[in-house]
Amino acid sequence: MTFSLLHATDFADRLLYNIIPPLKAGMIVLADRYAYTAFSRDAARGVDRRWVRELYSFAVRPDLAVYFRVPIEVSTDRLLARRVKLKFYEAGMDMGWSTNAVESFRLFQGKVLEEYDRLVEEFELSVIPATGSITDQQRTFRKIVSQHLAIEATDDELDELA
Amino acid sequence: MSSTSLPEDGANGGAKPGSYYGNGIPYLPIEGYPGKLIAIEGTDGVGRSTQITLLREWLEVQGYGVIETGWTRSTLMQPTIDLAKQSNTLNKLTFVLLYATDFADRLEKEIIPALKAGFIVLSDRYIYTAMARAGVRGVDRTWIRNLYGFAIAPHLVFYLKIDEKTLIRRVLQARGMDYWESGMDMKLGDDIYESFRAYQKALLKEYASMSDEFGFRVLDARRKVDVIQDELRRQIGAFLAESDASRAEGSESTQTQLRPGSDSTQTPQVVKNA
Repeated sequence: MTFSLLHATDFADRLLYNIIPPLKAGMIVLADRYAYTAFSRDAARGVDRRWVRELYSFAVRPDLAVYFRVPIEVSTDRLLARRVKLKFYEAGMDMGWSTNAVESFRLFQGKVLEEYDRLVEEFELSVIPATGSITDQQRTFRKIVSQHLAIEATDDELDELA
Repeated sequence: MSSTSLPEDGANGGAKPGSYYGNGIPYLPIEGYPGKLIAIEGTDGVGRSTQITLLREWLEVQGYGVIETGWTRSTLMQPTIDLAKQSNTLNKLTFVLLYATDFADRLEKEIIPALKAGFIVLSDRYIYTAMARAGVRGVDRTWIRNLYGFAIAPHLVFYLKIDEKTLIRRVLQARGMDYWESGMDMKLGDDIYESFRAYQKALLKEYASMSDEFGFRVLDARRKVDVIQDELRRQIGAFLAESDASRAEGSESTQTQLRPGSDSTQTPQVVKNA
């Protein structure tokens, strides 16, 4: 509960100082993670789902929410390839499911992913399969965003990269 | 952000004492815990801590195990809250959420374990303080009630009621007015006296509006300390006698196992001679 509430406090602070002012100024705000992270992570920790949603009812509903979906094996491999040590809370070590960080990560993040799957429908998240190459993902991402903003998608740079 | 509005899950009146107001904390079931939660509410300067100290002594002499818990006293959050109050970046939302985090920490780490072990928990202020402060600052009532849906409905709530005039004299006499107690963040008045008066008046109105909803036992806090204490003891004594009696005559239940080490033929009760 305290984990959930501390994150909500941090979120409220960022919402009021970093998100709402630029929106009022007509700017585009790119949020790396949003309330959906809390919905999935807190539910995976056993916090009541409806309660978390009510808690975040002060949040601005995004114009577009994109979910990069990846199977648990891929995400574990990517993290392990990049750095040695998994973070304590990211691996859900506080749950006491396993003393092995990697095993704990698999169990905990597996639950988080299940929660995300619920959210896709509930909040109409746009899903991008994140197993492909970065270029492919970026292409899909730009397409979705440009459709949303009604601007022309230019893939020229990406074509050059590919 | 929420798909539906479900105020019935929140901290509203009518919850059974000793159970969660709303859906509570799913991973911490509290059903059948033998301890008792008694909250003492009231604004600043009504003598809450004096009364609690006296109550504790009285209960302990009778052999009850007692713990005290107080607003913003969690080990996790107290330094953070103090720090945040010193800066001027706190807004009403982060203010409310920091309080809730502090309360959640004390609930999980102090209150629930104590109730499980059969202690009497004396709470110096409870969620009603948070609700009153938030209400005065214009935070949505349904939202704050939902937020505190994880709280436990106390067995008894005493509200030490005072009028604004007496309150001002007491606070000035005791220690003077402080920035947050005066609601200076709300810019109600130019000087601290006017702000304190307006803020405390609004707070008293909020408490009054919750009185019926949450079944406050209202005590006139303008009376002498020992007169108030006698009244508290009379009501608490009656309540404990009644719940001890109903536990004694109640059939043996699965609750017994909640107290490891206790005689298996004994029905659970508030810890005596702890």
